[in-house]
Amino acid sequence: MIEAVDLTKIYNKGKKNQVEAVTDVSLTAANSEITVLVGPSGCGKTTLMSMIGQLLTPTKGKVLVDKEDITAYSDGWKAVFRRKNVGFVFQHINLLPNLNALDNVLIPILCHDADPFEYRQPALKLLGQLGLSDRAFFEVEQLSGGQQQRVAVARALITEPKIIVADEPLTFVDEASAKTITDFFEKLRGEGKTILISTHASNLAKLADKTYEIKDGKIAKSY
Amino acid sequence: MKRFRNLLKYALGCIQRYRVRTLVILITLIVSASVFSSIAFIKDGLTVQGDLSLKYSPDITVQGISAGRQVPVDTRYIGYVQEADGVSAVVPRIWGYANIGNTLLVVVGIDLQSTTVNQRGIFNVSQAYPLESGTFLDSQSNNTVVIGKAVADLLGAKVGSILTILSESNQAERYVVQGIFNSESGIYNADMIVMNINEARTFFDMPQDKITDIMVYVTSVDPGNHKSLVNYVAREISDLPNSRTVTKDVLVQAQVTTYGDRSGFFSVVWYMILISVAIIAFNQTVVVGHESKFEVGLLKALGFSTSDIIQMRLIESAILGTIAASAGLAIGIIYDAILGAPVIKDFMMGWATLYPGFPVPVFINPQTLLFAFAITIVPLLFATVIPSWVNATVDPDIAMRGARA
Repeated sequence: MIEAVDLTKIYNKGKKNQVEAVTDVSLTAANSEITVLVGPSGCGKTTLMSMIGQLLTPTKGKVLVDKEDITAYSDGWKAVFRRKNVGFVFQHINLLPNLNALDNVLIPILCHDADPFEYRQPALKLLGQLGLSDRAFFEVEQLSGGQQQRVAVARALITEPKIIVADEPLTFVDEASAKTITDFFEKLRGEGKTILISTHASNLAKLADKTYEIKDGKIAKSY
Repeated sequence: MKRFRNLLKYALGCIQRYRVRTLVILITLIVSASVFSSIAFIKDGLTVQGDLSLKYSPDITVQGISAGRQVPVDTRYIGYVQEADGVSAVVPRIWGYANIGNTLLVVVGIDLQSTTVNQRGIFNVSQAYPLESGTFLDSQSNNTVVIGKAVADLLGAKVGSILTILSESNQAERYVVQGIFNSESGIYNADMIVMNINEARTFFDMPQDKITDIMVYVTSVDPGNHKSLVNYVAREISDLPNSRTVTKDVLVQAQVTTYGDRSGFFSVVWYMILISVAIIAFNQTVVVGHESKFEVGLLKALGFSTSDIIQMRLIESAILGTIAASAGLAIGIIYDAILGAPVIKDFMMGWATLYPGFPVPVFINPQTLLFAFAITIVPLLFATVIPSWVNATVDPDIAMRGARA
């Protein structure tokens, strides 16, 4: 279970261009549930997701995972935490160019003391489940936006993390891919994962066990 | 161990993946390393040759001076110098230049009576002038010469061949080749024709009471005091009117200035290489920095630590730098030793290029090899590792957003 307590993020603090992107946000995301953040573009969803996923250091507040304050970790321990526990799906997809789909999926394995070759079959299986069996050896540049995002989902899951953080995963995705990804998140919930999604997409928002509406960096409503 | 293998594999993948970047780095560093090494090998070769020639030089040379220019010195000075405290041997010399065809050669006449002193172990001429074939001159030698390797190669001369050289008074003088110097000290004696001092006097039409200069040898009981003794003797004989004394130290200084690290041509090339490597470093930091920033941010988001990222960049830079340095050194060696250093030979060899067929002196110094590796690997490490380290110390989200901006 994830608990965010009074998370605040101020960019360029003390400078002329100071921006307070998130202010005193507290939320919880339970295991085996999909927690959805909704809100207009620029309302602070991505910043909030990044702080929860330890990609961004909060200006104030803390994140507890299973009651443990992970914001107090050193940079090195945060990397270890992400490596072992979190799978990210980014709005901008963020696959590495000049690599094929399978190699992109296997990248998170490289920082583990493990042989990536042993993860080839699980990676191919994941790609198959996401409808990309015939695209596993295609270069990233040869895949459509939707296919790239499905590769990114497979990459997020290859280490079997208990937390999935997905930031606007359907933004650059076609309808068919959106359905595949949505169905996949539903399946992951069934497997006991803690899933945190920020989205504009109504089909994804419909999956939510809990929804937080974000406005101007604050929680406007939750249900 | 598996983790390190994965990081190594990823680093190798980066080299392959970013082909254009790899190619630009490799080409620039290979060119830099090959230019640096080919010039450094010749510079080191010339330094070795110079050191060898200095090894055979007298401790002090006494020259005559008139109106600030070198002129023949009076033979009466030989006696004065011999009487100075600390002097162990004095060898008068007559030398100058002569042409055979279009080639300028050095004709040196030495007082072969001095060899009697040498045989007592004070000044051993056979050690000072090692021969490849034949024998050295002795006091009985008449119309015989010992020639340098380059002269022998140029004229196709062997021991027993006859040389005809036009003397100062335009007489065709004939000499029998009695010995040929070996090539250990190529530059020093490659162009030399050594003969008895009396024959050199006739050859150069030198008055009986004059010689070109006097070679002075000092032998100290304690080798540690040799330099002090040489300076003492030099001061002692510097009082002789219309003369100057040149110690070996002064020649060493001239040698260092000409062929050392501060010599003009070498310095210019060295600065050019530094500038080109700095440009690469700048290119790496600024142009590739964006790409690197995104990748570093993403890798950190996916669980890589700062030390993983630095390790990968270190591996990548070390591999590229090693390949570039090795290839550059190989090209430098081939260019100098096999191709004979076309183009730069004339710049580096200076007067030595007067002699056709004189090989480029190449010396592969381990220090130069290490330095070539250092100038390729170290700047590359700075140019790749430091930006990666800077990017890796910021939050992954900031790094990725910054790269997209």
